[in-house]
Amino acid sequence: MLEVKNLQAGYDYLQVLWDVSIHVSQGEFVALLGPNGAGKTTILRTIAGVITPMAGKVRLNGESIGGLSAHQIHRKGLSFVPEDLNLFAGMTVHENLLLGAYGIRDKNKVKESLDLVLSLFPRLAERRNQLAGTLSGGERKMLGVARGLMSGPSLLLVDEPSLGLAPLLVMSVLEALQELNRNGVTILLVEQNVNMTLHLTDRSYVLEQGRIALEGTSAALLENEHVQEAYLALGE
Amino acid sequence: MAFTDLFDVLITGILRGGIYALMALGLALVFGVMNISNFAHGEFYMIGAYVAFFAIKAFGLDPIPAIVVAGLAGFVMGIVIEKGIFYSLRRRSKEEWVMNTFLVTVGLSFIIQNMAFILWGATYRGTDAYWKGTIQITPGMGVSVDRVVSFLIAIVTMAAFWLFLRRTQTGRAIRAVSQEERGATLVGINLNNIHTLTFALSCMLAGVAGGSLLSITQAYPAMGAKPLLASWLVVIMVGLGNVSGSIIGGLIVGVLEAASYYFLGAGWQNVVSLIVLILILLFKPSGLLGTEVKGVLER
Repeated sequence: MLEVKNLQAGYDYLQVLWDVSIHVSQGEFVALLGPNGAGKTTILRTIAGVITPMAGKVRLNGESIGGLSAHQIHRKGLSFVPEDLNLFAGMTVHENLLLGAYGIRDKNKVKESLDLVLSLFPRLAERRNQLAGTLSGGERKMLGVARGLMSGPSLLLVDEPSLGLAPLLVMSVLEALQELNRNGVTILLVEQNVNMTLHLTDRSYVLEQGRIALEGTSAALLENEHVQEAYLALGE
Repeated sequence: MAFTDLFDVLITGILRGGIYALMALGLALVFGVMNISNFAHGEFYMIGAYVAFFAIKAFGLDPIPAIVVAGLAGFVMGIVIEKGIFYSLRRRSKEEWVMNTFLVTVGLSFIIQNMAFILWGATYRGTDAYWKGTIQITPGMGVSVDRVVSFLIAIVTMAAFWLFLRRTQTGRAIRAVSQEERGATLVGINLNNIHTLTFALSCMLAGVAGGSLLSITQAYPAMGAKPLLASWLVVIMVGLGNVSGSIIGGLIVGVLEAASYYFLGAGWQNVVSLIVLILILLFKPSGLLGTEVKGVLER
């Protein structure tokens, strides 16, 4: 479904990603792990079109999307839930969700998506007419993911949903993602919370200094010596 | 002084303020969504007035269709100017956007004014009252029907516009862009289209304002300066980029002007408005209803 080949990317003259190749198949739950500054967020931003790749190929469902702008890529069925969410703080939860389905003209379809995300996050249904800017941290994350789902994407990119959340909420947000994946949404997740992520996802990539250092099934990576040493034993 | 005098002042001010509110709404919208301080806004008012004039004199249109045509002319001109100037500027200018666009709009204002001068000369072009007669509001005061109708047009237009911003997906997209550009692109909103639409709508509002006041204020090339100043007063008073506040602000400025006419005489209205503005900025720099202004500091 998603294929990234020999991607080079960065900001202005600062190259962050060197020759990164990853792929995500239909229905998979894949994680990108790695220390701060490794370039995880940059990968997601480049795939989503927020920044333009310097070189390399990005293909979504066989179609090249490298170099398209973010709104065009979104219309091809990819939703990006960034770390800072970029919610419309001055609008209600309901309006934020409606905007998530911006490109969709079919009213029934919008209604269906709305019902779906509100059943996934009942908390948002309670907060429906509240301004997004007044939500708590956990609710904001839910709204970010829910808004991303409103367009019925074939692929969801989620950047550090656990950031800034209390441990209990981290669990519930990550479990919500797992639930979504079981319902057929393909997900590429960036996370710092290595232990929990490896237990939830199918496959993972470990990114270090802008390059893919390790890849494999999450179960295998849990047993990997380097992962245990660098991310599990000391990191947690 | 009598209570009825105060009432008269209030009514005069409110009627006057409706059009200021309509102008200020467009100004606030363009600032909020595109971060442009549009100093050519008065020129679209002027174009609206001329278009209404020619629609009536040359094509024999009735007032309401003429005002609609004036609005459409503003809309089309807005598209042309946005696509022709601001779109290409946006692709080249990342830094100093606020200053660059400010200078561009000042230049535009000169160009449009002088083009109007070359095309139509310095003659005042007006029309007879759209709707004849006066309405007796209190025994001591009658107001021309045109004033009242132009106020109603302003109110209806603003109400329709408010509904458009709240209830339609495109309206929501405009608000989304003004609040969070990155978020807007991430839900699939094409910023370029929204910018063009916003600018065109803003010019349309100014065109409607100019058209509906034609029988009261005649069309001439420099006529845009006064409504521009008044609408800037409104926008600064309530807070830059505050769309709904511009309606209240418009009425406040209208009443202030009417009061200074009444108590101090003609010519003092700008002094009074500016003093009030200075006081507001001294004690509440973000404006009466102002909240945070998007991106001015970053760009």
